[in-house]
Amino acid sequence: MLKVLIPTIMLFPTIWLTSPKWLWTTTTAHSLLIASISLMWFKWTSETGWTSSNTYLATDPLSTPLLVLTCWLLPLMILASQNHINPEPISRQRLYITLLASLQTFLIMAFGATEIIMFYIMFEATLIPTLIIITRWGNQTERLNAGTYFLFYTLAGSLPLLVALLLLQQSTGTLSMLVLQYSQPLQLNSWGHMIWWAACLIAFLVKMPLYGVHLWLPKAHVEAPVAGSMVLAAVLLKLGGYGMMRMMVMLDPLSKELAYPFIILALWGIIMTGSICLRQTDLKSLIAYSSVSHMGLVAGGILIQTPWGFSGAIILMIAHGLVSSALFCLANTAYERTHSRTMILARGLQIIFPLTAVWWFIANLANLALPPLPNLMGELMIITTLFNWSPWTILLTGLGTLITAGYSLYMFLMSQRGPTPNHITGLQPFHTREHLLMTLHLIPVILLVTKPELMWGWCY
Amino acid sequence: MASRLSRIWPTLSRVRLSSALGSRCVSQTPSSSASGAAVASDLQPLSPAAQDSHGHAEVSPFEKNPDFHGFHHHDSFVDEWNMRLAFFFGISVAIVVGGTFIHYLPDHGMRQWARREAERLIKQREAEGLPLMTDNYYDPSTIVLPSSGEE
Repeated sequence: MLKVLIPTIMLFPTIWLTSPKWLWTTTTAHSLLIASISLMWFKWTSETGWTSSNTYLATDPLSTPLLVLTCWLLPLMILASQNHINPEPISRQRLYITLLASLQTFLIMAFGATEIIMFYIMFEATLIPTLIIITRWGNQTERLNAGTYFLFYTLAGSLPLLVALLLLQQSTGTLSMLVLQYSQPLQLNSWGHMIWWAACLIAFLVKMPLYGVHLWLPKAHVEAPVAGSMVLAAVLLKLGGYGMMRMMVMLDPLSKELAYPFIILALWGIIMTGSICLRQTDLKSLIAYSSVSHMGLVAGGILIQTPWGFSGAIILMIAHGLVSSALFCLANTAYERTHSRTMILARGLQIIFPLTAVWWFIANLANLALPPLPNLMGELMIITTLFNWSPWTILLTGLGTLITAGYSLYMFLMSQRGPTPNHITGLQPFHTREHLLMTLHLIPVILLVTKPELMWGWCY
Repeated sequence: MASRLSRIWPTLSRVRLSSALGSRCVSQTPSSSASGAAVASDLQPLSPAAQDSHGHAEVSPFEKNPDFHGFHHHDSFVDEWNMRLAFFFGISVAIVVGGTFIHYLPDHGMRQWARREAERLIKQREAEGLPLMTDNYYDPSTIVLPSSGEE
């Protein structure tokens, strides 16, 4: 664990002590090295359960894929932000990369924590750098509003969790995940226990986000700079899914009945947010709503609590993390050239940037779950396990898949096809950096097709 | 070391001044958007949208560096080396070496071994004309049961 955490902390001296000229070069190289080293986590030494080097930080098959995703995202965020942060004063560039690196530090400690309370603290700590990134480096003044939504939705959801965790500590005497998984099932039968159950999950459902408490997400995505959008879509939402999976183990007897309304809400949310996507005018908002839609499926898979549901949820989280991050990068490349996120103002880009249209095409197909990409595998596993629970869910999930295909087509047609508007002249050619960025997003998705067992979670 | 650390808290004005003097000012995008749009560019006419909404007054970096890779606007040397390092650590180290490492990871839980072993056993038993599996999970001769007579 520390072999990745300490190099990550050493990023801070790298950021502040390198000469301004080589700032982006050194941080990119350093963070890519960390990402390479993080692959060592896949060498699980124990056959089942946790691999730990110390008492506080450990990995298991559930957290490892998310940890590696976190480490992979930092170099990609640095590559993506290079163009629009470069003209700023050097101290502000350093501060920006510092925030991104601190986010990675907190996320590694969150995903690697063995104590639930440490997970909670790190879960909250990630709010601070993200809030600063959104409210300081966003593009419009609405970013302040978006920051308020982001902060207060998440905080209001997670304060009950703190109380619930303290109660759990009092009744079981420990909050260590290593111990709690072997503890006696709790006797949960009163109304108070039901409230406790809800308090344990609502923080994560808000973070996922579940339909109904998702309003902060499109706002945050639209206002955040590209790195903020990337890390939000790729990793921060997955904190919710990860936390839910960790907590579900302890909530067992009650979840069977109490999960119903949340499963229905999640499935209904897939259709609703998908339909919202179909009538978006704003490119980033569309991608944000499509994230909510996919996360609804993940929430359903986790709440159903079958091995297939859990595996499908992790597979979909990892695949969606890479693909939606790629889509946000593409949206940003278009934004940096046309200075507008409105899709109708930047049509027909295929004529101008044919190779980028290919990237759009691949990323769109991956987002709508093209076989054999892991997106499809995750969705299929979740849809199958939901169907097994109740055949009626196929109506909701099937319609959701159809709508996903619909809005992906809409996004592709609106941004790439059609006549090029007259006001689009003299766009900069695409940079090598942007092609590299897309390659680094999509190659892992393709490679994961050949070794999906890395993200099977507890089933592996 | 101390002098380098002092760079952490420079005054805003000093940094702006030095960055404006020391560079060739290819991309004029100071963060305070109002002042940035005022810089005139002779290479590309400013669209009104770029002027008032975002403060970007961009000159194409390709004008000065036709091999611009998108990494550094002013210095083609840094630009090129940044690209080389990003490709080396991103593609060569992380994807190629990392992918090879992942491919050759030990067989977790001996699942691949179990699969191969099962296929081998099936072939062997089919060749010998034996049933693939016996009905008994345990060998009945090894199970010691109490005799039914004694009660």
